[in-house]
Amino acid sequence: MVGLSEGEKHFIRGGIAQDLRTDGRRRLQFRAISVETGVIPQANGSARVRLGATEVIATVKAELGKPSILHPDKGKVSIFVDCSPTAAPMFEGRGSEEFSAELCVALQRCLLGGKSGAGAAIDLSSLIVVDGKVCWDLYIDGLVVSSDGNLLDALAAAIKVALSDTGIPKVNVSLSATTDQEPEVNVSDEEFLQFDTSSVPVIVTLTKVGKHYIVDATSEEESQMSSAVSVSVNRHGQIRGLTKRGGAGLDPSVIFDMISVAKHVSRQFISVLDSETLAAEAAE
Amino acid sequence: MSAAATAGTYSPASAAGEKRRERKEELRRHLAEDADWPRADGRSFHDCRPAFMQTGPTTAASGSAYAEFGKTKVIVSVFGPRESKKAMLYSDTGRLNCNVSYTTFATPIRGQGTDNKEYSAMLHKALEGAVMLHTFPKTTVDVFALVLESGGSDLPIIISCASLALADAGIMMYDLVTSVSVSCFGKNIIIDPTSDEEAWQDGSLMVAYMPARKEITQLTLTGEWSDGKITNAVELCMDACSKLCDILRERLKDASSLAE
Repeated sequence: MVGLSEGEKHFIRGGIAQDLRTDGRRRLQFRAISVETGVIPQANGSARVRLGATEVIATVKAELGKPSILHPDKGKVSIFVDCSPTAAPMFEGRGSEEFSAELCVALQRCLLGGKSGAGAAIDLSSLIVVDGKVCWDLYIDGLVVSSDGNLLDALAAAIKVALSDTGIPKVNVSLSATTDQEPEVNVSDEEFLQFDTSSVPVIVTLTKVGKHYIVDATSEEESQMSSAVSVSVNRHGQIRGLTKRGGAGLDPSVIFDMISVAKHVSRQFISVLDSETLAAEAAE
Repeated sequence: MSAAATAGTYSPASAAGEKRRERKEELRRHLAEDADWPRADGRSFHDCRPAFMQTGPTTAASGSAYAEFGKTKVIVSVFGPRESKKAMLYSDTGRLNCNVSYTTFATPIRGQGTDNKEYSAMLHKALEGAVMLHTFPKTTVDVFALVLESGGSDLPIIISCASLALADAGIMMYDLVTSVSVSCFGKNIIIDPTSDEEAWQDGSLMVAYMPARKEITQLTLTGEWSDGKITNAVELCMDACSKLCDILRERLKDASSLAE
């Protein structure tokens, strides 16, 4: 919870109405973003993303598993988010459960696509090693280290960078003569396959305060919101997911307007994120 | 109860007359292109299942509602407003507490309904914009939904049924909330999908809508959607929501005339 006086609330709302926010940004301007890759050597891929005072870490771990019976030609991806109580006292105990579940569902909705696999950011059939027998299970974990609003966008950005940092070990399979025997799998620790992350979307959350909406809201600004719409957009400007938060209802035309604004903003956000990622990979 | 027992349909139709005809033409073309599947239950793409709704199945609750859309059967009870738990902090607005649970036999594989943990939060978000929370300060209204049988489009039906139950309980609301979802298959959009259809969809979109206020309280979207299709699908859902809302109103009128 953010404790604000009436005066401060008025100041925040007034600033947004005049297109000059309390930290000097305009309504559709992101905070400075900084990216670091390979921060967790134990994981196959990891990234730390800082967006102002918001800081998140995303890791990708790949484990060999068995494909489900329903989809023998597909690997599995699971996404979890953990809000550490070190970030904010409200994340202590069970307080964070509901919130992390909300973030988790929103990320799943944006990254995993439809049930048939259409529109998924990660091509599940590329995770298969032996049809129906062995596949890669991808575990994507997000950790909130420090929270100052706009966690969803930061987490999605961190996951995007972590996936581009991920190397999946090359697997050599020696098929035994009888087909029902378990195939022998040899995991290489030298050769890695890079992921195709060109279709991984970013999430842009538009927070509506008063009549206007802003991107990358701080937690003070979030406390003044009436509702927020998170749109996930990929590099080609295609919408891959959408979630609405906040209680107040929205006029349909406002939602369509927000979608087009989000598409526009995402283009800049993706290019900034790309250049930061490149710089981070060069520094590593 | 005879009047309440008639099932009404709420398919979106003539309102978007021209567009609808265009879409039908388009649909026919698509079907000619990849003509392989009429919907399993004989509906056309923009036909909803008959909606059967009734108020007052449980007597202990302040208000309750039962909904049956095809195979999907949902029961919602509303309790309160009653005093908030002692552990809760003082609040000058009321609290809305939503919980969605599945019976163990709701799904083909026993106990699969627990996959839908987020539904409670989603139900809360869809309803909180409609309920006048300031009319019951310091107290809590509990909305408990139980899915007896899951047959597709569960969440939209839970939301619609819950708003009927809230109205039955006499909780002050700005408007009834109704919800409809659509699935996308390649170029086609089909409304009110069954669970089989949901299992193979390319994308899905759900709208919760307050027809009289013309406000969307909840909108979720997954999978692959192009811009034009989103607009189409949202309009389709809103149209169906308005019609479903008329059905809800009928049921409330029936219930009040029976009470007299």
